[in-house]
Amino acid sequence: MIAKFARQKPGRENSNAAIAGQLARSSSPRRRFWRGVWVALKRRPSRIAGVAIVALFIFMAIAGAWFYPDRLPYDVNEVYAPISWEHPLSTDNQGVDVLALVVTGTRGVLLVAAAAGLVTMLVGTAAGLYAGYRRGAADSVLMRIADFVLTIPGFPLLIVLTTAINVGTWWKMALVLGLIGWGGLARAVRSQTLSLRERGFIEAARGLGLPTRHIVVKELLPNVAPYIATNLLIAVTAYIYAQVGLYFLGVLPVDTSNWGVMLNNAVFLSGALISPDALPYLLAPLGAILLLTLGVVLIVDALEEIFNPRLRES
Amino acid sequence: MSIVEIWPTVTAAPGVAIEELTIAYGGLPAVANVSLELKPGTITGLVGESGSGKSTLALSLLGAVTKPGKVTRGKVVIDGIGDVTKLGAEELRRVRGSKIGYVFQAAQNSLNPLKTVGKQLLDLGKAHGVKDLREAHPLLERMGLNADRVLKSYQHELSGGMRQRVGIMFALVLNAHVLVLDEPTTALDMITQANILQIVRDIQRDRHLTTLIVTHDVGVVAEVAQRIAVMYGGRIVEQGDARRVIAEPKHPYTRALINAIPRLTGDVDAAKPLPGTPPTLGTIPLAGCVFRERCPLRMEICDTVEPVAVGGVACHAVNKGDTP
Amino acid sequence: MKSLLWRLAGHLTRGLAMIWAVTTFTFFLIRLMPGDPVQVQYERLIALGMSPEQAESGTAMTYGFVPHGPVWQQYLDYIVGLAHLDLGVSVDSQGIPVADRVFGAMPWTVLLVLSGILVSFLIGVGLGVVAALKRGNVVGHSLSIAGSLLHGVPPFVIGILLTALFTRQWRWFPSGGIYDADLVAPGFYADFMADVAYHTILPASAFALASYGGWLLAMRSSVASVLGDDFLLAAELRGLTRWMRFRYLARNAILPLFTVLAISFGLVFGGAIFIERIFNYPGLGMLLFASIGARDFSMMSGSFLLITAAVIIANILADLLYSVIDPRVRRQT
Repeated sequence: MIAKFARQKPGRENSNAAIAGQLARSSSPRRRFWRGVWVALKRRPSRIAGVAIVALFIFMAIAGAWFYPDRLPYDVNEVYAPISWEHPLSTDNQGVDVLALVVTGTRGVLLVAAAAGLVTMLVGTAAGLYAGYRRGAADSVLMRIADFVLTIPGFPLLIVLTTAINVGTWWKMALVLGLIGWGGLARAVRSQTLSLRERGFIEAARGLGLPTRHIVVKELLPNVAPYIATNLLIAVTAYIYAQVGLYFLGVLPVDTSNWGVMLNNAVFLSGALISPDALPYLLAPLGAILLLTLGVVLIVDALEEIFNPRLRES
Repeated sequence: MSIVEIWPTVTAAPGVAIEELTIAYGGLPAVANVSLELKPGTITGLVGESGSGKSTLALSLLGAVTKPGKVTRGKVVIDGIGDVTKLGAEELRRVRGSKIGYVFQAAQNSLNPLKTVGKQLLDLGKAHGVKDLREAHPLLERMGLNADRVLKSYQHELSGGMRQRVGIMFALVLNAHVLVLDEPTTALDMITQANILQIVRDIQRDRHLTTLIVTHDVGVVAEVAQRIAVMYGGRIVEQGDARRVIAEPKHPYTRALINAIPRLTGDVDAAKPLPGTPPTLGTIPLAGCVFRERCPLRMEICDTVEPVAVGGVACHAVNKGDTP
Repeated sequence: MKSLLWRLAGHLTRGLAMIWAVTTFTFFLIRLMPGDPVQVQYERLIALGMSPEQAESGTAMTYGFVPHGPVWQQYLDYIVGLAHLDLGVSVDSQGIPVADRVFGAMPWTVLLVLSGILVSFLIGVGLGVVAALKRGNVVGHSLSIAGSLLHGVPPFVIGILLTALFTRQWRWFPSGGIYDADLVAPGFYADFMADVAYHTILPASAFALASYGGWLLAMRSSVASVLGDDFLLAAELRGLTRWMRFRYLARNAILPLFTVLAISFGLVFGGAIFIERIFNYPGLGMLLFASIGARDFSMMSGSFLLITAAVIIANILADLLYSVIDPRVRRQT
């Protein structure tokens, strides 16, 4: 018996491939997934930066307001103050600290954008799954609607709608935003469902007699999840910018303070474009937007590489 | 510079000599120390499972090694061209298509989906400075295709068999005399398979070609080839006259291959598959005989010393005379 | 050819259906708005001293339908008016037909959008090829990150930055408008067109910079996917020249981008509003913006309608172009 073991030692069993094979067999699909995520993140350290940046913004949105009093102090003597420890990003035209403005301004837009994202995810996923699963008449109808929503230029529609309907409350805004943007997600989910159907997933599950609910939740959803994730991330960012844009144009009332309002003030009202003192007031919200975009771009890049191995460099 | 100048009046088929060729991917050999001779005017069948290195070997005739692979030893000498491994990029480009033809599998899309066959043919001619492409018509007609229609077609309008024939036409239209076919019958139905093989035989004869057919199907070799070479794990384990080797295989791997084919007559259980799986690039043993894990004739020496080919067979057991 | 006509017919029907849907939508939106603007207008005209009939016809002229009577009647009036390209009359600028202003503004927006898209397409596709071929190293990666960044950032950011830099900091370009009325008068002659071009460069560049990233990314992934195709290897093994192989690659890779082109139109027109506002550019976007401030509903719905129509037409054209270029689609019945 020992001789048999001794004989098996030199050979293929100890090669790297075999070890990898054993590892792959032992861990669950979920663990392998997260390990894959970790590997992709480590490959380019910039991606961890991306996650960090987005986390920072989320933190600012949730906890930012706690650091500042409800009404931000203003001091007319301190208009466009030079950069100092007290005012690291200078002040605006009423002496309010710019950093405070940026931080507190995050919550409103992020909250609405997140809620809108939720709406989009629910409607888009449901529509896409249903259309891809049932096909036939339901598919055509749903996709026509989705195309309709997709083709109409989103931002002009948004402008028209916000003027028409009084979107004072945050959830109304979120609803409007979410309903404008679900078209893309629905299409993506549908095409993924169709390709899964092509690969025999659905037929096989049906053949095994599995109930519809199980098929949708256990088989389809996990495979569609990556597309939803990427799509959703981009959509939420788009919603943030849509709101900033609306405030910037002055379409939404400038009573609250957020990045868009800051930009509006800076560009059109306060002559920030002219006097160099006021530059930080202009650049701060721009910088926030750029930073957030950078973070999201890095994360999406990482996600793409995780889910689409073809783009990997060998 | 047209073909006629490079290759004056060819009526004789060229010979191809592969000597001790080693192609490695980062230290791991996909083709190891292979010596193979393609005699002029013959069809040689190169048989092996996937991962055996046969495609890599076939591509080396055109000097095409997929990166990051490199030729680390040996040479590929073709009469009238020289050592392919030493050719520069421009010379290689000129040789490909005009002196050596490569035919893809039917399942692969070897044609640009956006251009008609005719336009791509013109591109081919332009690339080699040839204006006279009159060979195309008779070639296509001879293979049973309506030349005019085919030349106007796009790839997606042709069936698998038609694409295969168009591929053969492309390989031969500039009067190449060395032909490499990669799995010419895979993904084709039985009747088309037979047709294609017939075409290969006829063309071989009429145009004095030296042909290499890469396949995993021993039946194809039996039908068209004069010589056979069997590959395993990047090495040639047996080569020789096709009929003789198939009738009386000597190397245990060849025997297993032949034995796995069910016969028309006799007990169907007599066909036995070979246990185990073929090695991949990462799992090929670096010393000793690559086949030893699955070999019924395994000996001590097989673990450490790589067998040398004697009389076409590379096996310690066979060459020692120990075979039953 | 016949199949082409069928496709065209199909597109046109779908396009018209969509325009119809949008107009219906806008119509009911106006009617349902709080503080019914139609009613408001009617009362405003009465307050100005008009008789009820006059007020009614005045309102009808403004909005394109009679403010009283059953809804479906009003709806029909509206549609009929649209068919005659009568979009009503601007509430704000007394009595100027919306159609006039809207169709007057459209060419400017088209100019801006087209030049912006053209430039961004060329830059993006070119850089996309580079990014795909140099995937492994720093060049490729930084190109894609830069592209994604500029693409992900909302267009007004770039507009603001460009304005700040090139119109204030360094006064290279005019800060707004479409032509300098002191210097030239409108007409199809060189000086005027040169002035228009001078005024259009900066906004168009803002556009181009904001959208080239999308093309870059799309081209990069398309090239990466085509690089793995067999026919390229086949071309190499047949001895085709490098230049030929590159053309094979490029044409095949660009093809799927045309579908992206169709989708991008909608986004582009959305961005136009910002750019036009920032640069004071008298296009459709500016009209829409101005009408919001003035609560000029007929102008608002008119310009919105036209923007949507422009997007739909652009989609149809792009789709037709695609079916002409791709032989696989062309030959289908």
